[in-house]
Amino acid sequence: MKILLIEDEKELSSAIQSYLTRGNYLCETALTYNSALEKIHLYKYDCVIVDITLPDGNGLDIIRELKEEYIDTGIIIISAKNSLDDKIIGLDIGADDYLTKPFHLSELNARIKSIIRRRNFGGTNEIILNEIRIVPEEMLLFIHEKETTLTKKEFDLLIFFLSNKNRVLTKESIAEHLWGEEMDMADSYDFIYTHIKNLRKKMLENGGHDYIQTIYGMGYKFLTT
Amino acid sequence: MNLLTRSSINYIFFSVVAFVIGGIIFYHVIKNVYYRQIDETLKTEKLLIEEQIDFSDSLPDFRQVFSHMIEVTVFNSPKKKFEFIKDTMIYDKTRDKLLPVRQLICENTSIQDQGYIISISKPLAETTQMITTIVGTLVLLFVFLTGLLIFVNYFISKSIWVPFNKTLENLRNFDISSGTSLALTETRISEFRQLNKTLDRMTKKMKRDYINLKEFNENASHEIQTPLAIIKSKLELLIQSEGLNEEQMGMINSVYEAATRMSRLNQGLLLISKIDNNQFHHTEQVDLQKVMEKTLEHFEEIINLKKIRILHHFNAPACPQMNPALSEILVSNLVSNSIRHNIEEGEIRITMDSNGFEITNTGHPLTFPPEELFSRFRKSDRTTDSVGLGLAIVNKIVQLYQFDIHYEVKENIHRIKVDTHAAKKPD
Repeated sequence: MKILLIEDEKELSSAIQSYLTRGNYLCETALTYNSALEKIHLYKYDCVIVDITLPDGNGLDIIRELKEEYIDTGIIIISAKNSLDDKIIGLDIGADDYLTKPFHLSELNARIKSIIRRRNFGGTNEIILNEIRIVPEEMLLFIHEKETTLTKKEFDLLIFFLSNKNRVLTKESIAEHLWGEEMDMADSYDFIYTHIKNLRKKMLENGGHDYIQTIYGMGYKFLTT
Repeated sequence: MNLLTRSSINYIFFSVVAFVIGGIIFYHVIKNVYYRQIDETLKTEKLLIEEQIDFSDSLPDFRQVFSHMIEVTVFNSPKKKFEFIKDTMIYDKTRDKLLPVRQLICENTSIQDQGYIISISKPLAETTQMITTIVGTLVLLFVFLTGLLIFVNYFISKSIWVPFNKTLENLRNFDISSGTSLALTETRISEFRQLNKTLDRMTKKMKRDYINLKEFNENASHEIQTPLAIIKSKLELLIQSEGLNEEQMGMINSVYEAATRMSRLNQGLLLISKIDNNQFHHTEQVDLQKVMEKTLEHFEEIINLKKIRILHHFNAPACPQMNPALSEILVSNLVSNSIRHNIEEGEIRITMDSNGFEITNTGHPLTFPPEELFSRFRKSDRTTDSVGLGLAIVNKIVQLYQFDIHYEVKENIHRIKVDTHAAKKPD
């Protein structure tokens, strides 16, 4: 999987790059508008992450150019401006998603995964991990080919974990993923605990592995190794 | 009381005082002049009578010479010289009544060593009548003049104060957050021109400062986003590293939590400044009942976890004209507030009709005065994890659409009522 990250802030760019590289992506970076244009004309990427405000140009123009050449490249806009207009324009000209800075890297990662899944490069949308098979569109989970019912939140949680396998997911990033940013209650952490307990229980009961590990005080990790 | 009434009242008051005092003085002056004249006449008559007494033994018939009000009494023994003038009443036989008179009484001794008393009286009736008529006419004239003056003054003042009243009206309608500037009308009166000029300068400066401040707020919030994004992403990477011990993990976690909090705070402030800058100009008819139902669904799990009972009664949906994103924030902030400050196994009642909605919840007593509820960073000490901007944002939205919001607390039951009926499109 090839990803191009267009972000002018060097430190942020390198952090994102290193997070994504660990997830077995090939992640290239462009720090300016011009170098980004050059790269999208030279190579084909599966997914492009664009910062709208670049020092020498507007990220929206890059999206327009990109859409002319490669219609099926996934695009995620990242912006410091939580502007509804930008979001609407961006999605209108072909971007798949919009993330406001600061975001959790795990969230960005999950969104990339979801876009790539939706783009359906291999012909199938399913996520398969050992005994687990998931059909995301239909919210179906099979363990050893036996259907297991999950609530919507549990399902979202499982997909979020699977998108960030073997990474520590903080409580904050999980809470924000499940309930959005307005959820600033300590209670929500209790809830993550309840949801994870239930998810774990359901998976174990149906003969699944115990993948979810608690990282004390910090969050959780979905271990596959 | 306006300026004009005030000045007119003062004018009338001082005029009345001046006329009363002036009238009294005038009356006395006139009276004195007349009395002096009468007294002169009396003295002249007395002198004539004395001459008569001195040069002839017999008393002439004064009644014929002067008037019937002269009496002369002659004694054999001499009298000491003595003379005075007084106001008194005498009986008039012809008219059969008492008449006010000015009377001169003189005792003296003649050359023949005979004592005599002369008493000369002058009726005052005519004089008094004359004085009264003169003073009365003058007072009437004064009153008329004053009335005319006040009347004229009233109308002149009224037209003179027109530019001032216009300026006042302009000031009253002046809204610093709106784009319009203070449109002051030209005037020829230099004081008002100066006033307008000063006001114009002041409001322009205010406006400039306000815009600067707004821009600063927004820029600062924007600029903070990027470093925050760097901090958060680097920390997330750091968390992934192998071989961290528990103490290090704890420290990283604290930093991470603080950074998350800060970014939430920043987003809240950014939202407030966006509402201030009127960046949510798109409005449509929003069905608040649907928004409310969606919000309750969103918070369902937390509500269940806290074992809170939700009772809702939707009579009719409130459908104000507003920005859909802001409607969600408004409802969501109020509902999450009622959940956050609720007690275990508490209760939330929500009612709605076409005029607005009301959220009542059980909770803890308020630790600060209720009027500070909607101010920024005002939070109870119980829930320290909230950033304290939720209700400030609610207040901003309510102000933007000119809704009415009302809060009250009674025996730990908190009630927030939002009246969307007065909803108006923002300019």
